[in-house]
Amino acid sequence: MRHFVRFFLILLILQLPVRAISIIEVRKSLVRITTTAQDPNYRVPWNPGANESGTGAGFIITGNRVLTNAHVVANARFISVERENDPNHYIAKVQHVGHDCDLAVLEIKDPKFFEGPVALSFTNRIPQIESSVSVYGYPIGGDRLSVTTGVVSRIAFHVYAHSAADSHLTIQTSAAINPGNSGGPVLQDGKVIGVAFQGFSGDVAQNVGYMIPVPVVQRFLKDIEDGHYDRYMDLCISTFPLLNPAQRKALGLQNDARGVLVGKVVTSGPFDGILKTGDVILSIDGHPVQSDGYVELDGERMEMPEVVERKFKGDSVSLHILRDKEPLDVTGKFEKAWPFQLQASQYDIQPRYILFGGLLFQPISRDFLQETQINNLRVRFMYNSFISDEFFIDHPEVIVLSSVLPDPVNTYLSGFRGAIVEDINGTKIKTLADMARAFAQPTQQYVIKMMGEGRPLVLERTEVEAARERIKARYNVRNEQNLSE
Amino acid sequence: MISRLILCAFLSASLAAPCLAKELPPKKNHADHATAPGLNGPSSVVRVNVTNQPYDFLRPWSKRPPFQRRAVGAVLPGSRVLTTAEQVANATYLELEKPDSGEKCPATVEVVDYECNLALVKASDPEFLKPFKPLALSEPGVGDDLAIWQLENNGTLLNTRALLTTVEVGAYPIGDTSLMLYRLTSSLQQRDSGFTSPVVKNGALVGMLLRFDSRSQTADAIPAPVIRHFLKAADSKTGYAGFPRTDMFNAALRDPQLRRYVGLTNGHGGVYISEVVPGGPADKAGIRAGDVLLAIGTTSVDRDGNYIDAHYGKVSITHLISCEYYNGDKVPFKILRQGKEMTCQVTLTHPDPSASIIEPYTIDKAPRFYILGGLVFQELSRQFLKEWGPEWTQKAPERFLYYDYYQRDVFKGDPRQRIVILSNVLPTPCTVGYEELNCLVVTSVNGVALKSLADIEAALARPMNGFHRIQLQGSPGEIVLDAAEVSAMEPALIRNYNLPAIKRL
Repeated sequence: MRHFVRFFLILLILQLPVRAISIIEVRKSLVRITTTAQDPNYRVPWNPGANESGTGAGFIITGNRVLTNAHVVANARFISVERENDPNHYIAKVQHVGHDCDLAVLEIKDPKFFEGPVALSFTNRIPQIESSVSVYGYPIGGDRLSVTTGVVSRIAFHVYAHSAADSHLTIQTSAAINPGNSGGPVLQDGKVIGVAFQGFSGDVAQNVGYMIPVPVVQRFLKDIEDGHYDRYMDLCISTFPLLNPAQRKALGLQNDARGVLVGKVVTSGPFDGILKTGDVILSIDGHPVQSDGYVELDGERMEMPEVVERKFKGDSVSLHILRDKEPLDVTGKFEKAWPFQLQASQYDIQPRYILFGGLLFQPISRDFLQETQINNLRVRFMYNSFISDEFFIDHPEVIVLSSVLPDPVNTYLSGFRGAIVEDINGTKIKTLADMARAFAQPTQQYVIKMMGEGRPLVLERTEVEAARERIKARYNVRNEQNLSE
Repeated sequence: MISRLILCAFLSASLAAPCLAKELPPKKNHADHATAPGLNGPSSVVRVNVTNQPYDFLRPWSKRPPFQRRAVGAVLPGSRVLTTAEQVANATYLELEKPDSGEKCPATVEVVDYECNLALVKASDPEFLKPFKPLALSEPGVGDDLAIWQLENNGTLLNTRALLTTVEVGAYPIGDTSLMLYRLTSSLQQRDSGFTSPVVKNGALVGMLLRFDSRSQTADAIPAPVIRHFLKAADSKTGYAGFPRTDMFNAALRDPQLRRYVGLTNGHGGVYISEVVPGGPADKAGIRAGDVLLAIGTTSVDRDGNYIDAHYGKVSITHLISCEYYNGDKVPFKILRQGKEMTCQVTLTHPDPSASIIEPYTIDKAPRFYILGGLVFQELSRQFLKEWGPEWTQKAPERFLYYDYYQRDVFKGDPRQRIVILSNVLPTPCTVGYEELNCLVVTSVNGVALKSLADIEAALARPMNGFHRIQLQGSPGEIVLDAAEVSAMEPALIRNYNLPAIKRL
């Protein structure tokens, strides 16, 4: 799978285990996972994508489940798992997957699989910097179990490359983490302190591997207890450090290094209508907020969002703020996870599209733009400023004419590739569903206005009808649309 | 970290390229590059030596290092020299040099138009150009053999053949200008510091070289009609007014479905008007987007927006409007609206580029700035974006690129004349915590909305409770400076950063 290779390109010489912790016990719970995945095809969205296979690691946790990385089983069509010292291959299924935190739980129907091994248990604290850790897994370099050791190098927020849009707490380690280590446990004193998941290729950095720490893993396991993964909650605000003495004075703040300024409050977020630009957040859930945006949690200095990272759908967060120099207590409720996911890599979904008169319309997303290479300034700007400029209000989906399958009906329209749909017959198009409705209208002609293009695209219904079967046959189109979410 | 490494790779690639280029010796083809010292060449061309020094728009208080350029200018009747506007852009010193004797004479720019990229230069000594034989202007035809005149170091004429392959309307280097171009094929050699040279036919001037691509051996030249229009406008009694425009855009009307939609059931001509700039000549004449343009004056317009020119054949109507008419001409435009023909009287004018909210070019003009306690305020201009280098359309701040490219859309009805920006921060004790801020739009200062940077002084005269409050578009919303501290610190700021001035409004 591409993610195994994306971060790890160079073979490192594996260090020998320095300290033999109860490897006999651990290896019984270790799992090697082989996945055949089918990635979506954004260029020809009615076609199935290419099949790819790869291997990763996982380990048995309570409740007869296997924990691994989401990227090990993303877009999976077939998953088989093996245990150490057991020649059988068992068929596994994804029970729950969190692509925003790169974790997945697998179920294995065959009860024989869980005979013998014990579930690994998690530590309940963040490990100390410089303490030793051991990484278990099946990285490149051989087929059998591999163990590497190192120390805890750093604990900080870091982007999770699987979604490329989410940042959570990570633990950086100097232990070698290589392709195939993904999903394997990292242990300290016989307990799991994290799940190995990403690193840098040797071209970029040496001995920089990352694991998902226990708070992120526990949050995932707790979230799925009700049988549904609700994803992470977000304050949906931007904040600015308050380090400038004049600014602090103007805001009526003491010189006590506390408080951050509220910049943008995103419409329809949990603090929409509650916080205002210019408010100062002094504490969050009782934790004082320092002027650089850090709070103290479990004895460690961590970024303020870490407080929200531990929240679930339905939870609230209370803020003590200063507004116009007056203290105020406000509470925001997390009704749902942030709905607009276009800036994150998406998995286990099929591309959404509409093909009409040989014109292929698709909503923009990270994967779509990467594959189609549509890169005009308007598309780039609307993608990157989707949240800051709140384009999601008028365009929950930004629909682009992504390609034209040449046919007499559209032969003069090929120059509009990359343009964004504004309206059809005067009706604003906000979503792909709006577009499907507009094209279902029994009208003489469909006049499609593209953003910034004065000349409309005119398709006459009789011409479109006449071209329909011709285009389907010529271009081997299986379905003319996919509107499923 | 990844991005830094990629940057290194790019750097080494860009370093490698010029070295490679040097290793390839220029091809010599004696048949093509026969020098012609006996022709009337040397006595009709003159060297134009220019020292240029543009402003640095990222540090608007200073100029970039000066650089010298040598070009070949065409001597025209009336003791003046035609060269390209690019050559004299931001010139600090200008001189003419006789090719054979090397005799020099200081010169001044008489008329310059950066959009058509032409300039007229006058020698300070009226006698200097007397011995030259001025070039007359003539028009070649497609397929004609032309010559490009360059000068060797010793003053002899280098006469390179060029084939005129195509005549069409295309983009000019500065602003959003499209005018007629001659496309040439020629194996030109590099002489002097550029390719600014006259293009001639039978000893008469037919164009000025605009650009040359050594890989494809193709060149573009500013054609005779554009030069003729420039010269005529330069002699106008009311002052130079530039090339007229309609300020409307058109799209081809080939698509039969679109033709039926606009009610064109017969005929083959007519072009779709896709956009009309508010307040422009076409808008004032009542032309609307969605109309079909059928004819300009008595000249009919085809479905691609071309007309038949008596000399050049099929050419875009942009040429007809810009070169066949002059500023202030009233021209009837025949249009079709909802199936009905009507005529709109368009008064063609040249729109002032500095009326754009984001100036398309800022040349020979010092950029405005104001430094407040270390915060550098400027006006957004395309020249500012071009400071990001040859790949500025990819590398400059995306929001500003978007604002510039789609300014007619984005700022429709906006009361501002200019977009005031916080371009960057010179760290001082006043700006602690603001060091990372850059390229943000400033909406108001001390509650005063800024229509241009000129408004900042009045706004700063009225601090709010001893603070300057600067409102920014987007996060962080507002930043604050202590007004007394800013004034007290100003001498230290000037000294520390060696600033020649704290503002230029």
